[in-house]
Amino acid sequence: MKVIELRGIRKSIGQEEILKGIDLSVQVGEFLAIVGASGSGKSSLLYIMGLLDKPTEGEVFFEGERVDFSEEKRLSELRNKKIGFVFQFHYLLPEFTLLENVMLPAIKLGMKKDEAEERAYELLNSLGLGGKERRRIYQISGGEMQRVAIARALINSPSAILADEPTGNLDSKNSQRVMEIFKEINRRGTTIVMVTHELELAEQAQRLVEIKDGAVLSDRAIQRA
Amino acid sequence: MNHVLFVALKMLLQRKRQTVVSILGVSMGVSAFIVMSSLMLGFQNYFIQQVIDLEPHIKVKPRVEEKEREPYTLLLGEKPEEKDRILGWQDMVKYIERNPEVLGVAPRLVSRGILKHGVRDKPITLLGIDPKREPKASIVEKFLVHKNLQRLETNRTGVIVGVLVGKSLGVDQPGKKLLLVAPNGRTLLVTVEDLFESGITNIDDARVYINIKTLQSLLERQGEVNEIIIKIRDVNRAEKLSRAFQSFIPYQVESWQRAYRNFLSIFKIQNTITYMIVFAILTVSAFGIFNIIMMTVLEKKKDIAILMAMGFNRGDILLIFMMEGFVIGVMGALIGSLAGFALQEYLESIKLDVEGLIRTRGFVLERTPLLYIYALFFSLFFALLASFYPSYRASRLNPVDIFRSQ
Repeated sequence: MKVIELRGIRKSIGQEEILKGIDLSVQVGEFLAIVGASGSGKSSLLYIMGLLDKPTEGEVFFEGERVDFSEEKRLSELRNKKIGFVFQFHYLLPEFTLLENVMLPAIKLGMKKDEAEERAYELLNSLGLGGKERRRIYQISGGEMQRVAIARALINSPSAILADEPTGNLDSKNSQRVMEIFKEINRRGTTIVMVTHELELAEQAQRLVEIKDGAVLSDRAIQRA
Repeated sequence: MNHVLFVALKMLLQRKRQTVVSILGVSMGVSAFIVMSSLMLGFQNYFIQQVIDLEPHIKVKPRVEEKEREPYTLLLGEKPEEKDRILGWQDMVKYIERNPEVLGVAPRLVSRGILKHGVRDKPITLLGIDPKREPKASIVEKFLVHKNLQRLETNRTGVIVGVLVGKSLGVDQPGKKLLLVAPNGRTLLVTVEDLFESGITNIDDARVYINIKTLQSLLERQGEVNEIIIKIRDVNRAEKLSRAFQSFIPYQVESWQRAYRNFLSIFKIQNTITYMIVFAILTVSAFGIFNIIMMTVLEKKKDIAILMAMGFNRGDILLIFMMEGFVIGVMGALIGSLAGFALQEYLESIKLDVEGLIRTRGFVLERTPLLYIYALFFSLFFALLASFYPSYRASRLNPVDIFRSQ
């Protein structure tokens, strides 16, 4: 079963066409890495897959449902319930504690505060941040911030996690730690789509799609020894 | 809604200093509105209430009639002849009394005069009244120091003088003998039976009540009256009713609103000025709110983008920032109301002799909960108005543009 399916996706910004007719589908439970040089269109593709941006042309299907980009409320609902985002910059809210940052999507979903808090505690603990729940973002390291962002993406048990250069700001040790977390999440059944320019990390996924100049250059499964 | 409140409060609390300044701005507007309105309405209502109680709700009086003037009278500026009497007033009184809206009717004879006490004298307005009928048409008794209105019936040479008239003549107790000089030069020795104090300076400083029969005799105008006063059930209907009476009464019929129209116009101007000042204060505080929310929106662009990415829709974003304005408005109204209440208490505790159009001991304040409700309404209105545009701007941000710009 496909979580996300893109058919003939084109995207133009002004006169420039940045995506040139992309067909791509992501199966449930898949760990897909999208690689490409800077400006190749991989992030734009991810925003469309995450229903944050609408294509100039083409169709997007999410869990079999054709996405109508004119229905903004439905898009927000899908993003809240079904999609978790992790960005290169953690984008944690500075006013909130780590716990509150993680709780936010769950509170938006309508989860009771106590329940959301309990779930956020569990997630932070499982990502090695136990005991730091009440801290503010300026009191933790970059690697920890990214783990908080992953916990936030996971709180509503989404169908897919979309990560845009999640290790772009981390050192190799923290990058590998993030990758291990993604692999673990994926093993538990969550689909992961990760955009990166680091081939070494991308090869830890199950499938690799290479984008060049807004088109799919290659799409291959990664064989492991 | 929880998620909106959750984010809005956090954002407000992070900018404590600006938030406090914005709240104080609204509070100042609210407390100024409460105190100024309370003072102004207190003064106006007091004045109007005294006028309504003491003065006739409707008055019938002769029209100034001018006879055809010869050229030489125009040149010499001779005064037009005034027919200062109401003919057939007894029938008129009976007719007016039959109206179900009328509570009482009384005739009066009004004239000028001079009161003398020793070496002091004072120009006065003489009101010849029927002591039996007068209380039905005005509540003059309420303002009498010794409640001796009926003495005018038993003592035909008795007078009731305004406290300021008494003060000018050195009379502060009943029993004093005064010399009354009529415009026709005739004099009468009168006895002060009571003093009255309405609180309205120009009335207390000129008015003297006397039995109508005594005045008629002094002025050699037996049986004449030149004023009929009418008290009605609903004072607000005075103007309408006066117009209705005017259609069948061949004299001038004047409501209290018309008689005091100059004062009422001044009150309107006074109200306008006060509300303009309050409007200016609230506008300044609204700019404060606009400023803080606009700054938050500009600084929080990437936070707004991530909120959208995690499922907050445009409506949620709009509400978050509107909620900030709402919270500032409510807090401002609350603190402003408390400050307004405290100021009212303070002003009420000051026992200052206020002398002007009215005379009171201390400030007369109108203390109605309505003022607090209006203040809350105005502060919320201004706060929401000020926060709408920045909130709308925030809700229209495109998260992808923000992520791309990082």
